[in-house]
Amino acid sequence: MSATGTCDYQAKDYKSDLKPIWCPGCGDYSVVQGIYRALAAIGRPPHEIAFVSGIGCSSRIPGYTTAYGFNSVHGRSLPIAQGIKLANPDLLVLAAGGDGDGFSIGGGHIAHLIRRNMDITYIVMDNQIYGLTKGQLSPTSQKGRVTCTSRYGSLEEPVNPLLYTLAYGAGFVAQASPTDLAGMASIIEEAIRYPGFAFVNIQSPCVTYGEEAQQIKGLKAIQETLASLGHNPADRLAAMDLAQHYGEKLHLGVFYRNPEPPPTYGDLVKERQALLSKDALPKERILDLFIKK
Amino acid sequence: MRKDLVFGMAGSGGDGIVSAGDSLLQAAAAEGYHGVMTKSFGSQIRGGESSCRVRISTDPILNPGGNLDVAVALNWEDFLKFGAELPVSGNTVVIYEAATNIPVDQIPLVGVTPLQVIAVPIAEMAKSTAGTERAKNTVVLGLIAGWFGIGAVAVMKGIRKKLAKKGEELVEANQRAFDAGRAFAMEHPLKVSMNVVASETKGAVKLITDGNDMCGAAAIFAGCQFFGGYPITPSTEIMQFFTDHVWKYGGAVLQAEDEIAGIGAAVGASFAGKKAMTATSGPGLSLKSEMMGLASIAELPLVIVDVQRGGPSTGLPTKTEQSDLFAAAFSAHGDVIRPVLAPTSVADTFRITLEAFNIAEYYQTPVIVLSDQEIASRKETLDPIDTTQFKILNRVRPTGADLQDYKRFKQTENHISPISHPGMLGGTYLASGIEHVESGAPTNSGSVHQRMNDKRTKKFDPLKDRKDLFTVYGNPDAPIAMVAWGSVAGVCREALDMALAEGLNVKLLVPYLLYPVAEGVYNDFFASVQKGLVIEQTHLAQTFKLLRMHIDLPKGLKSLARSGANPFLPGEIVAALHHLLSELQRSHEGKLQPQE
Repeated sequence: MSATGTCDYQAKDYKSDLKPIWCPGCGDYSVVQGIYRALAAIGRPPHEIAFVSGIGCSSRIPGYTTAYGFNSVHGRSLPIAQGIKLANPDLLVLAAGGDGDGFSIGGGHIAHLIRRNMDITYIVMDNQIYGLTKGQLSPTSQKGRVTCTSRYGSLEEPVNPLLYTLAYGAGFVAQASPTDLAGMASIIEEAIRYPGFAFVNIQSPCVTYGEEAQQIKGLKAIQETLASLGHNPADRLAAMDLAQHYGEKLHLGVFYRNPEPPPTYGDLVKERQALLSKDALPKERILDLFIKK
Repeated sequence: MRKDLVFGMAGSGGDGIVSAGDSLLQAAAAEGYHGVMTKSFGSQIRGGESSCRVRISTDPILNPGGNLDVAVALNWEDFLKFGAELPVSGNTVVIYEAATNIPVDQIPLVGVTPLQVIAVPIAEMAKSTAGTERAKNTVVLGLIAGWFGIGAVAVMKGIRKKLAKKGEELVEANQRAFDAGRAFAMEHPLKVSMNVVASETKGAVKLITDGNDMCGAAAIFAGCQFFGGYPITPSTEIMQFFTDHVWKYGGAVLQAEDEIAGIGAAVGASFAGKKAMTATSGPGLSLKSEMMGLASIAELPLVIVDVQRGGPSTGLPTKTEQSDLFAAAFSAHGDVIRPVLAPTSVADTFRITLEAFNIAEYYQTPVIVLSDQEIASRKETLDPIDTTQFKILNRVRPTGADLQDYKRFKQTENHISPISHPGMLGGTYLASGIEHVESGAPTNSGSVHQRMNDKRTKKFDPLKDRKDLFTVYGNPDAPIAMVAWGSVAGVCREALDMALAEGLNVKLLVPYLLYPVAEGVYNDFFASVQKGLVIEQTHLAQTFKLLRMHIDLPKGLKSLARSGANPFLPGEIVAALHHLLSELQRSHEGKLQPQE
C-alpha cells in the first residue's frame, strides 16, 4: 500500500487494449504478466505510473500497460526516466528494454543512474540477440555465437549485467525468468518497493532467433533459486561471487538488497529545495540578481 | 571630449586583464555610462593569451565597437594573437609595457600608424608601489582613469569591495598602484585629449550581466523547473546558473553523463509536465539531434540553447561564429519544423529566451535558441527591465470533457492537441518516437503518417506571421538593405546609424525568428530593395542560402559572409553600403544612356 494509492487493483487493470507485436511464445508475454501482477500487488493507480522504454521488441512493453508510457529512442530509457522522476518524484517510475538497448547503445547510462540512486526500477528482458532487427549479435551473446552479423562466430566476450550493476553499487540487483512467473512477479514487486534504484535482469527467451539452450526448456535445466542455495541477499560479496556464473547458470532471486538503503537522489533534492527556498527572489524580480550597487 | 571609447587590452593569462576589464565596466556603470565588455582567450586552461574589450558610452551600446580607441598591450606576442579581434587604426592610442624593450617607433603593428604610442613601465610601477607585478592590471586602471577620465573614484571603490576580505594591506597596495598609474597619466598628457564627457545618468540603477546568466534568469522567470545538460564551452554558465538558483524555485538540475542524457532527462521532465531545457554548443547539438526528433514527433515542449562557437567539431571553442544555423534548422532526421530563435544582445536574450519557452509550450515543440559566444559571454550594463510586461504561456491542458475519451494527438483546428502528463487521471497515453494515431497507439500506416506530418508542420503556420519577431531599422522604403541576426545585428545597427547620418537611404532587417522562414516578412521587406547584403559570420553564407531556399531574393542582394573570430567592423559595412550605392547609381546611369 503506497501513500497515494489503494490496494484495490487487479492485474487486469494494468493491461491495455493494444495487442502485442511479439512472436507467439516470446518470453516477454510472461514479463508483462509479471509486471501486471507486481503492480496490482503494489496498488498504485495506473495514472501515477510512468513506464519508459527505448527501442526493441521488449521496448514495446509500456504500450501494453495502462500506465503513462513512453516508448522513446534506442538506448535512452534511463535518462528520460530520470527526468520524469526529478520532475515529479511522486510518480512510480519504471524503465524497461532489451539487452541491446540497455547494455550496448545505452550502456553508458546505467552506471550513472546507479551512482545517483534515483528511485527507479529497471527491468531488462535479456535474450542474447537482437530480435527486432532479425537476429544480430547482442552484447550478452556468448563468445563464438553465429548470427547474421557474426557469420564465423563472435570474437568478443559477453557483458555480465549482474556483475557490473553490483560493481557500480546498485542497491538492488535480481534476476528472474518466465520459467517461474510467480517468482518473477514477486521479484519485480520487491524491486519496485526497494527505496532506490533497482535492477532486474530477466532471461526472456527469443523463440525466433534464440538458441535452443536459451528456450524455456534449456533455462529450466540450468536454473537454481538463490534461496535454495542459502544465499543471503545482504551479502554483496557473495552476490558478486554468484553473479560470475551469469551465462552458465540461471540464478533466480535477489542477488543483493542493501539492508540499509541510503537516501535517494530524490530525497536529497527535496532537502536542498527546502533548504534554499527561503532564498528565492520573487520570479518577477529575478533580474535583481544582476544589480550592481 | 568623447562620448564613446573602445578599449582593448591583452596580456598573458595571469595578468588580470579580464579582471581589469570587469573593474572598468563596473566603475563605468557606477558613473552612469553604458558599457559592453567582451572577453577572448586562447583555449589553454591557464596562462596563454587573454584579452578583453570594453566599450563605454554615454549612449546605449549596440555592439563591442570596431577599431580600438585605446589599445593596451602587456606584451606584444599575446596582443598580436588576437588579430582582427583587437584592430588598431590611425585613431588609436597604443599603451604598452615598456619592459618589452621595443622602441615606440618599432612596435610590431604592420601597416598602421597609431595616433599616439606610449611605453609605460607598468610592471616596474606595480612592483615599486604594490610590491608585486600582479598589480599590473591596477596600474593600467590608474592610467585609464588619468588619461580618459573613467573611474577615478569608482574603480578603487570596486576594488576595495572586492578585496575587503583579503585585508587592508592588499587594498592599500592596490591603491598605491592605481595612484601611480593615474599620476603617470597626468604627467604625460595625451597629444589629443580623449576624456569622456560625464554621464547624465550617474547614480541610476544599472544591471550588469552576460548572455548566459541572462538566459538562465529568463528561463527561471518563464517557469522552467528542470535543466539537464553537460558542460561545454561556451554554454556551461547556463547550467551553472541553474545549479545556483533553480532549487530555490522547487526545480532541479541534472549534470548528466553526456549530452544525450542531458537532453533526454529534459525530454522526460517535459513529458512529466514541467517546463524543461538544455544548453549546449555545436558538437553537443549534433549529439542531441536524435532527441530533438523525438521531442518533435512526441510533441513535447522543450528549449535547447545552442551557444555557437567556431566549428565544425572542436573548431574554435572559445570564439564566436554563426555557423550552426543549418544544424539548428535541419539537424533532426525526418520531416520536421523546429523553430529557431536568436537573440542579438544580452538585453534581448531575456525576451528571446522567454519567447522560446512560450513557443515551445504553445506549439508543443522543441525550440532552439541560437545564441553565440559573443552574446553569451559578453557583459553589458543594462537599465532595469520591467518583467511584468512579458506574458508567460503554458501548454494547453485537457479539460474534463477532453479526458472523457482522451486522445493525446487529437486533430484540432489549430493542429495543437491538449496535453496531459503522468499523474493526471484519465490522461494516460503512450508517448512515442514511433508514428502514432490520435490516441498515441503505434502505427505503420502511410496515410496516418501523412496526416500526422501535416499536423506537426501546419501547426507552425501562425508563427510565420509573428512580425514582432522581426525588427526593421532605417528608412522602410530604402533601395539598399541589410539583413543580420545574432551578435552581428548589433554591428549592423551601428553601421546603419552611421550610414543614415551620411545620408544613405538604407534599412536593416533583424530577424529574431530564423526558422521557419517567415516568407511574408521578407517579401515585404525586400519589396523596395534593389541592392543589399546578408551579413553573417559563417563561411558558407548559411543565412543567405537559407533565405534563398525559401524566397525569391532581389537580384542585387549579395552575401557578406566570413568565418568566426573575424568580427565585422561598422566602418567596413558602411564602406560596403557606399559601394552598393555607387553600383546602383551606375546602373541607373547605364539605363539612361541610349543603346548603341
